[in-house]
Order: sequence, then C-alpha cells, then structure tokens
Amino acid sequence: MTAITAPPPPAATSEAAARAARRRRRAPYLLLAPGLLWLVAFYVVPLTQLLRTSLQAGTLETGYRFTWEWSNYAEVFTTYRGQFLRSLGYASAATLITLVIAYPLAYTIAFRGGRYKNLFLVLLLMPLLTPFLLRTLAWRIILADQGVVVEALKSIGFLPSNGRLLATGWAVVAGIVYNFLPFMALPIYVSLEKIERNLLEAANDLYATPATSFWKVTWPLSLPGVISGTLLTLIPAAGDYVNVSLLGNPQQAMMGNVIQNKFLSILDYPAAAAISVTLMAAIVLLVIFYVRSVGTEELAG
Amino acid sequence: MAVDEPPAVELERVTKRFVDFTAVHELSLQIGENRFFALLGPSGCGKTTTLRMVGGFEEPTSGTIRLHGEDVTGTKPFKRPVNTVFQSYALFPHLSIAENVAFGLRRKGIEDWEVKSKVGAMLELVQLSQFADRRPRQLSGGQQQRVALARALVNHPRVLLLDEPLGALDLKLRKEMQIELKRIQQEVGITFVHVTHDQEEAMTMADTIAVMNRGRIERMGEPTTIYEDPQTMFVAGFLGASNLMEVDVVSDVEGRTALPGGIPVHVGPGKLTRGERQVSLGVRPEKLRLFDPAEQSLPSNVIDGKVTDASFIGVSTHYLVMTQPIGEVAVMAQNLGDHRFGPGDAVKVGWQPEHVFVVHQQA
Repeated sequence: MTAITAPPPPAATSEAAARAARRRRRAPYLLLAPGLLWLVAFYVVPLTQLLRTSLQAGTLETGYRFTWEWSNYAEVFTTYRGQFLRSLGYASAATLITLVIAYPLAYTIAFRGGRYKNLFLVLLLMPLLTPFLLRTLAWRIILADQGVVVEALKSIGFLPSNGRLLATGWAVVAGIVYNFLPFMALPIYVSLEKIERNLLEAANDLYATPATSFWKVTWPLSLPGVISGTLLTLIPAAGDYVNVSLLGNPQQAMMGNVIQNKFLSILDYPAAAAISVTLMAAIVLLVIFYVRSVGTEELAG
Repeated sequence: MAVDEPPAVELERVTKRFVDFTAVHELSLQIGENRFFALLGPSGCGKTTTLRMVGGFEEPTSGTIRLHGEDVTGTKPFKRPVNTVFQSYALFPHLSIAENVAFGLRRKGIEDWEVKSKVGAMLELVQLSQFADRRPRQLSGGQQQRVALARALVNHPRVLLLDEPLGALDLKLRKEMQIELKRIQQEVGITFVHVTHDQEEAMTMADTIAVMNRGRIERMGEPTTIYEDPQTMFVAGFLGASNLMEVDVVSDVEGRTALPGGIPVHVGPGKLTRGERQVSLGVRPEKLRLFDPAEQSLPSNVIDGKVTDASFIGVSTHYLVMTQPIGEVAVMAQNLGDHRFGPGDAVKVGWQPEHVFVVHQQA
C-alpha cells in the first residue's frame, strides 16, 4: 500500500497556526474572566474585609482600628459558646429530621408517583411560593399556646397541661424542618429518579429481598442526592435567625441571631465579623467531615 | 437425562394480559435440561414478556409456570432458581466488577473466601480477571456484557434467562459473543433461554427455536427443521427470505403437482394432499438456480424470467428475476466462479421439487 503524504505546510501557515494555538490557550481564561471578576468583587473582597474587621479593636464612638485583636475570637467561644453549640445542634437535628421525612417522601414520588409525579412535585414546591417570613409566621399560629396542635398533644398526654410548643427549641427545629423540606426532598428525588429500574430487578433476580435491594442498591445510588440535600439544609440552617426570632425566644438564640444583633443593633462590627468567620469555619469543617465519612466516591460517582 | 425427569422450564397455557392488550396468549412450551432455547420474534411479539414471567418479574394472568417440575407461578424473583442477563446489562454502577459478580453469592450468605474464589474463577471464564477492581462504566459494551453474564452464571442457576443480551453490541462483537455464549453454555451445562429478534443469532446458538408472533408460538423445533419447513407464512418470512407463490388448485392425482398460473410445479412427495385448496408454495432464494435459456439439463421445475437486478456481494450474487407466472423472485447464487447474469438477461429459473416447502393456509 502506498502511503499518502500530505505536503509540508508552508512557513506562513505554521505561524498562523501558532497564533491560533495561542488564542486557543487564552480562550478559557477570557471565558472565565466575567465570573472571576464577579467572584473577586463580591466574594474575595468582602471576605477579606470581614476577616480584617474580625481582628479590629475599638468602640463605635472611638472608631475601629486593625490591631490583630484575637480576643474577638476568644469571646466567641466564651460569651457565645451556648449560641454557637445551639446553632450546630439545632441545624444538625433539623437536618436529620428533614432527611427522615424527605427521603420516604421523595422515594414515594419517584417510585410510586406514576402519572401524578409532576403534580406531587408541584405540591412539594408550592409552599415556596409563599414568602419565607409568612410561612414561618403561620407556624406561630399553628404552634400557638391555644392552638390545635398544643391542645391535641395535651389531650393525649404528650404535653403537660401547662406545656407549650411556641418559644421552645422544638418549635425552632420544627420551623427549620418545614422551611427546608423541599431543599432536601428535591435533590433526593432527582437522584432516585435517575436510578434505572432494571437495577432493582437485577438485585431482585440475584436473591436480594426488597429490603436488601434498597440498602444495597437504592440507598447507595441515592447518596449524591442525600449529600446535596443535607448540605442545602445544614448550611443555611446553621446561620438561620428567622425561625428563632419568630418561633423561639432569646433562650434559643442561635449564632445567626447574635450576628444580626451585633451587626445591626449594637453595631459591634469586629465581634460580629469574628462570629461570622467562626460559624463559617465550623460549617466548612462539618461539611468536610460529613462528605468524607459518607463517601466522596458516591458523590463523584 | 432420565426419561421421566421433568423439563427444566415448562409453561402451561400461560396468558399475560396488560390493560389494553394481550401480550402472551395461552402459551405452552417445554424446555429440556441443558438445552439452548431461543425465543425468536419481532418486537412486541411477547417474547420478552414470556421470559420475564419465567424470571418472576411479571405474573401471568393465567396459566402455570414450572421449573424442574416445581410450580413457581407467583414466586418472587429472588426466590426462583433462575438468573437473568438483562438487555441493558443492569450492572450496579456503584460496585466494582468483582462485587457485581459477587452480589448474588453474598445475598445467599456464602462465606467471603468462597465468594472470592468463585468470583475469581468466573471472571477467568469470561476473561475479565484484570478488570476485577474497575467500575462498570470503565468497561466497553462487550466487557460489560460479559460481566452481566458472569454475574448471573456465578450463582449456578439451573436456568439462565438472556433478554436480548447482544442487542447493544456491534455486529463483529455480536458474532464473537454468539460463539462465546455457546461455548460457555456447553462448558457450564446450564439450560439457556435466550430471547432475540435476530434470526441469525438464534440459528447460530440455539438447538431449539420457538418463533413467536402476536403472543403465540408459530413454530418450534430445531433450526434446520423450521428453516427448511417453516409451515406458516409468518415463519417463512421472518426466518430467512422466501419466494412464495399462491396456488389455487392441487390437481395432480399423486398430490405432487400444483399449478400456479397454469404452469406445472413439482413438489416433493407427501407434502401436498390431493384436492387441497389455497396453499402457498415457497422456495428459498439459495435453492433457486438461474440457467441460460439454451441450457438443456434443467431441474424439473423451470419458469422463464428476465433479470431485473444483480448485486454481487462477494460470497454470492443476489438476483431479482421477473417471471411471468409468479412475479419477481429473489435468487441467490453462490460464487463458484461460473457465469454471472446481468440486468436484462433472459434466464430460466429452476429448482428441485424437494426444495419446495408448503404453507397451508390458515383460516
């Protein structure tokens, strides 16, 4: 067989090719530029500002100066230790409860929804059409001392006669669970929906009972949804302050409330910044730990 | 195999009705131990539904399914001694190849060392040992197919169900896998029930073929038998190509000669009953021969025709010949290096009486 050789490219063409190659190398950066600029302007700069502020000292009257004031951070763990732990505790508890409610819900819609699947999804998202604040205010009425829920719980002996739900930790957690349920259920639904049904038939064919099929096939394959749902709930829940303000009382204050108070009422910016940074760091650590233990492999899978 | 041993798979008057149509209609069949059985038919003929009922994924509306004499109708799939190779393989994406293969053994509670050794041996059999730690999506289609096979076979099911297992592979790989599947079946000695719409695939592998159409078995038997004597119009058309000619009256006293358009046709002995009305006669294209009009030594059946198309495909030449009495016929001439005809040539089309098959008209 005769090999067909292409004529060598003339010099001019190779120079043009080199220019084209340079352009090609630049292209990704040019495409990234708008996003990068946005991130620098509205993320890196404010974050640096926040870190700087968290190390300032002074008072509102004298003005704040940057002095590497680490005691701001020490204060977080001494004065606000309760709120800090409560934030993580409430957020974790609420996330867990949301997961327990959302998983069977998403499972039922995905596997048993049939032709009503879309209707169920719309119903699931419907509450989001009502403003966050109104939804939470509605819960004040539901959980009110003379409300139906409290009366019912009292009559079956779940609550003592002077017991109440509003202004307790339960109410705060319930509010968070309610508000974040769609954010948990939707990603789980999506990953369940993606599971090919013949995988379950295959598991069944290979002697797995329905329960084993669930734990060995459905659950691991739905983990990406569980992980994103958990993060979408846990992270905002840890910084939440609306549920406490409306459903709790100052005893249930979370970090969000402290930050809000410091920034907007007391105007103690360094303390507020230090608390914010600490909360952020805590959440990042929590997320890293969580994703590591649940398995990044599934997330990448 | 003992004579009184029950068949590996037995379906008795099995019907499957879905909401708006009947997929399988009063189907009965028996599959003997260690057979390679193929359910062949076009899509929608009910072959996959039949297989799924044997596997336990669908329950028959009525009828009985027995495996080795044991009634399994209504038994859940995970309790049936059969395994399935699914059409799209259905490999677990989150498990390694080794763990995919080990899945069934682990559910049976077999000890880890034994699972490992069985999985190792099975991966050896399908030549995938070096991929044990990979994930399914890192494998090619053909390799995934072999994993699916290994995952089912490792459990030593008494019956292996294969649902169009080669459908997603390209032609060359499919041919290779056909031979491979046949080899494995002979090696492991398990009854295979294979569903396919590819007649060549069924003929290559199976020792018994059931041709299905509209929820019923039209013809069942050895590949050669049903090819040479398809008996029904549908089988004649689905299994290979056929030239069919309608015959009005069978007038010959010995029942050997029929008359399409006034021209005598000789049919092998015993195939036609005297006085039978409305039958079709069929001849396979490869059984027809073309002759020069001047040719003297001709077979007993000859009609005149004119070549309308000739396509040379190497191993053979495919002709379309227009004939006066029966219209256009397809002729396949093996490439033996003799004269090739071209379009427009006048020819004689001849064939032997014993090569004619008869399709008795059904009501």
